[in-house]
Amino acid sequence: MKINRTVEITWHVIFMATVIVLVFPIIYAVGMSFTPLEDAYNNVLNIIPLHPTLENYITFFDTLPVVKVTMNTFIIASVATVFKVLTSFLAAYAFVYFQFKGKEVLYFLLISTIFIPFTVTMIPNYLIVSDLGLLDSVWGVILPQLADAIGIFLITQSMRSIPISLIEVARLDNLGHGRIMKDIVLPLVRPAITSVGIWFFISSWNEFVWPVLILKTTENYTLPLALQMYISSEGGTNFTVAMAVSVITMIIPLLLYLTFQKYIIGTFTSSGIK
Amino acid sequence: MKEIKFEHVKKSYGDTEVVKDLNFTIKEGERLILLGPSGCGKSTTLRMIAGLEDITEGSLYMNGKKMNDVPSGKRNVAMVFQNYALYPHMTVKQNIIYGLRVRKLFKKDIQSRLDSVLDMLQLRGLEDRLPKDLSGGQRQRVALARATVKRSDFFLLDEPLSNLDAQLRVSARKELLKIHEMFKQTMVYVTHDQIEAMTFADRIALMYDGELQMLDTPTNVYHRPANVFTAKFIGTPPTNILEMDDHNGFVTIGEQSLELNDMWRKHIAERKTQNLLFGIRPEHIELSTTPFSNGFQGKVKYIENQGNSYSVYMDLEGKEVVALSENKHWHKGDIVYFRPMMERIHLFEKETGDSIGYPEELLDENDKNKEESRVLV
Repeated sequence: MKINRTVEITWHVIFMATVIVLVFPIIYAVGMSFTPLEDAYNNVLNIIPLHPTLENYITFFDTLPVVKVTMNTFIIASVATVFKVLTSFLAAYAFVYFQFKGKEVLYFLLISTIFIPFTVTMIPNYLIVSDLGLLDSVWGVILPQLADAIGIFLITQSMRSIPISLIEVARLDNLGHGRIMKDIVLPLVRPAITSVGIWFFISSWNEFVWPVLILKTTENYTLPLALQMYISSEGGTNFTVAMAVSVITMIIPLLLYLTFQKYIIGTFTSSGIK
Repeated sequence: MKEIKFEHVKKSYGDTEVVKDLNFTIKEGERLILLGPSGCGKSTTLRMIAGLEDITEGSLYMNGKKMNDVPSGKRNVAMVFQNYALYPHMTVKQNIIYGLRVRKLFKKDIQSRLDSVLDMLQLRGLEDRLPKDLSGGQRQRVALARATVKRSDFFLLDEPLSNLDAQLRVSARKELLKIHEMFKQTMVYVTHDQIEAMTFADRIALMYDGELQMLDTPTNVYHRPANVFTAKFIGTPPTNILEMDDHNGFVTIGEQSLELNDMWRKHIAERKTQNLLFGIRPEHIELSTTPFSNGFQGKVKYIENQGNSYSVYMDLEGKEVVALSENKHWHKGDIVYFRPMMERIHLFEKETGDSIGYPEELLDENDKNKEESRVLV
């Protein structure tokens, strides 16, 4: 018993330390976003603002069309997410339940694209987007994101864990692929789809390098681009405003996570097939 | 004519032939059991009927129509899977009626079918549970219910009871019989369990290595095995098979020999068969502590307790023979005298393993029926 208690305490200490390390920057950012710049320089580690102010947020809203920028970010992330989840689901279904020539080779080729570094495709993609006349447009940011095999891979894995007999029962009931997809496969891979969707959304939301190449006018900026305006040499560093932008940037992914939290956890706990 | 007919049906995966030239007919409304060891092709055969496996060669007829290229959903079959294959995200009720809803049956009709099956399989009160909240026996009944409500002409079962414990199996078998009595579907049932086959089947189709070994009633499969494989597969412990080099009407093992009676001698003579194998079931051997006038002498090697009887394994001139005894007074190392019951022996051709048949005197009603029902392989 004594040993168990010691082990338990040790683990709790480790967990608490991990949580503090993970949460501290967020709390710090929130605190700083309500602190005047002078205070911030004087009391660097003060989490709770001495003279709380909305000044930083006001500066941000004054210098940039914040609503437009947020909308840009949201449109890019949503379109990419919805499109990728949908195509990944359909492709995975085909890879798992259809028999066709060259299936293994095609799947292998698709999956191997995951390992191509972004820097390799950056220039060709830029030239294509430029030829399409999509420079400085949200569609130019969205387009290259759509081709992504990781979703196919993850959803395929999840679908493969569905016993084939479930699909066979459906076939004996004369169900077409549409019904099988909608009524049987989709509900069973929903946790995987949700996790993949959230991942797509957040990674697109946080995307920096590609939008920076494509987007020129502040009107068309995304939130991560707005953020760098306050921490780069050209704008002069105003890091309390940068913290305010960070907080705004965090809000939507955080809300999304809180909404779908149970599905994300469900991904790890759901088996229950048998 | 809800019959199923196989005509030279073959199935291969690449170069591996898993089903070789099947030719037989499953009669309308009968309970046919496909029996055999693992990997014998019985499940593949069932899945070909269901349309879940393509037929490589030959023709499959159901209801008199060629079915090779008809999709599963149009074959009018219901199937129960070994793992039950219940939809984990649907409740018991949704699982049972999902197929009916897809077929767009009237609500009233669906409800009445649901009600009757819930009562028949004692699933009342479980309608709103998810499969994960059910016990193994309950899941199995839901799977049965889902197949039953379809009221298909053909009812296929792939080892439906193998995940249940012994007691549940008995009650599940009764439920299956009840379903069959009520709807008289043509039932094809795959199992590797010979007890299940014996108790449930109208006829047993015994398969081995992709080939049909025997198709007959349980009684005949037991008493009139068509070949050595059948004799050894059916019955526990398996039939003793002894080489019988001397064909002058004697079974000679080492220094000892047993004289066949006139009836058998005549039968062998008529067949002009040379090399023979001699088969006798353990339950058809008499044991004694005193010598028989026409019998063997052996030594007890070990005893297995079967509950209601004992399997006595004996050494006969270096060969092992097993007999069943109700007495437990046998001990390792005992000298034991034994005698096969002459009217219960089986003789097979050594070359092919096929039975040479039985003398006229032994044939009874069953054997006469057999001529009609039996399909020689």
